[in-house]
Amino acid sequence: MEILVLVKPVPESESRLRPSPDGRQLDTEGVKFVLAGYDESAVEQALLLKESVPGSKVRAVALGPAARAEEVLRATLALGCDAATLLEAPPGRELDGAETARALALAAAKGPADLILLGKQSGDQETGILPTALAARIGRPGFSNVLDLRWDPGSNRFRFARATEAGEERWEVPAPLVVGLQQAWNDPRTAKLQNILRSRKLPIDRIPAAEVAAALGPAPRESATKFLLPPPRTGAKMIEYGRPEEAAEQLVRILRDTARVLP
Amino acid sequence: MSRGVLAVAESVDGHLAASGREAAAAARSLSEGGTVTGLVLGTALAGPAGELSRAGVDRVLTMEAPALEGRRALPWAAGIAAAAAATSASVVVLPGTAFGRELAGAVGSLWDAPATAGVTEIVGSDAEGIEVARPAFGGRATQRLKLTGPRIVLALRANSVPPAPPAAVPAPIEPIPAPELAAGILAGEPVGFAAAASTGGPELTQAAIVVSGGRGLKAPENFALLEELARSLGAAVGASRAVTDAGWKPSSYQVGQTGKSVAPQLYVAVGISGAIQHLVGMMSSRVIVAINSDPNAPIFRVADFGIVGDLFQIVPALTAEIRRVRGLAEPGRSPGA
Repeated sequence: MEILVLVKPVPESESRLRPSPDGRQLDTEGVKFVLAGYDESAVEQALLLKESVPGSKVRAVALGPAARAEEVLRATLALGCDAATLLEAPPGRELDGAETARALALAAAKGPADLILLGKQSGDQETGILPTALAARIGRPGFSNVLDLRWDPGSNRFRFARATEAGEERWEVPAPLVVGLQQAWNDPRTAKLQNILRSRKLPIDRIPAAEVAAALGPAPRESATKFLLPPPRTGAKMIEYGRPEEAAEQLVRILRDTARVLP
Repeated sequence: MSRGVLAVAESVDGHLAASGREAAAAARSLSEGGTVTGLVLGTALAGPAGELSRAGVDRVLTMEAPALEGRRALPWAAGIAAAAAATSASVVVLPGTAFGRELAGAVGSLWDAPATAGVTEIVGSDAEGIEVARPAFGGRATQRLKLTGPRIVLALRANSVPPAPPAAVPAPIEPIPAPELAAGILAGEPVGFAAAASTGGPELTQAAIVVSGGRGLKAPENFALLEELARSLGAAVGASRAVTDAGWKPSSYQVGQTGKSVAPQLYVAVGISGAIQHLVGMMSSRVIVAINSDPNAPIFRVADFGIVGDLFQIVPALTAEIRRVRGLAEPGRSPGA
């Protein structure tokens, strides 16, 4: 089975968040970009499928500024991915979801994949629209919020569950397929030191920024306007009381009359 | 600037989902006097279409086709794009559900339009486009962005837009044919469904009020206290990871980084210490109340209101007080008995 796993370089979860000097987006100065969140689960699931289906290959694909994308691709190679493709983001160009899908479709077009796997949402913007945006772009079925993804060689189909508000649907869908993953079978593995060292020397295929730019529309259609942090939480207003009933009365009064959140 | 807007609604058990009413209300505010069209897709649409016709839209379209049964993003997106073209809509508003996000991506690509999802606020709108706000970084920040061009796709976040009051006169309902769908995007089929373990209330991510319990409840049977409180509020019940890991509640209850993200109007954390794992799943809630015996619990740092005390005394008192002010009967007694 040929698997493409798409990963996005995102700020480390411990990063301090602050607005950029122009106030429009996250200030990335000094921020480390890593493989994180649902993307880590997607890589883990790709490797588990590879291990369970003999002869399988996993290619990791990342879109972003070259240095950041290379860093996360090396991480996927250290974990056991077989090959990597780096899509260089055109500098300064903001991409909407449909355009990101166009760019990633360039990597998908380089070779047939039975499965295109990505996290159900990125670890930074968390929009969650890319799995189906890409599926629609390349004209393949796409499902997100997927769990328990299995390959059945007998029927040549993927079997999986998909989380909805009402419960879990079960689906059987033939390859090729695009999947936005919610959860892998296992917690993501960590790379061995020797594999991390080895991954530094492995080749990475590159699609240059000019080629990516040519796949996009003539002008950006989405732009960040303001990055806002919540007002610093000053801590809860603590309710002073004698008997529990007094605490309840005070809280209900506040919720009903001041905060106005009671039905 | 007036514009035509298409609001897409899902149905649940033969009824219009609340997320559809919210989509209709957001569509109305974006239309600025233009036509708001509601759209339902699938099969057996009479019930949800009738409800949508009173949700503040100018007309309702029903796109009935067996291929649209079940929630497949690409066939639905093709139907939505066709309905948008037929109604000359320039904006599509999608519901604040997991499937709404899937639709946003697919409609964006098929319609070749910028799309975003998880929208909590329409910040502004002019001839160029629409500025929206959405949470990012697990609710630790809000990103505002402007989408521009002749076509724009937005999916809301649940509970962000108040639905319109029911209209006295229903809007007209008309059928619209489904477009021809490529066989490739219809490959595969649903083979089963397992309903989420019912909490007896609204669904966690869609609820306006969520009451969550942590290890402070001490034993699984003590969740009954929280469930009583949730019933008095019409709230959904959630849990911390400690609780679901211990098997007290199924994982579908889990709120947090590895569980569900919720952003209700009111979040009540009971016996939850407030590990960052949990906080990122609920920090976008409008008002947060924490009840905990430990005055130094980190949950008090993100909460708006806190009560330090024995939850086994506070929670029943709170339930009784809410019942009293809402005029609800004690359980086991019929009203007026």
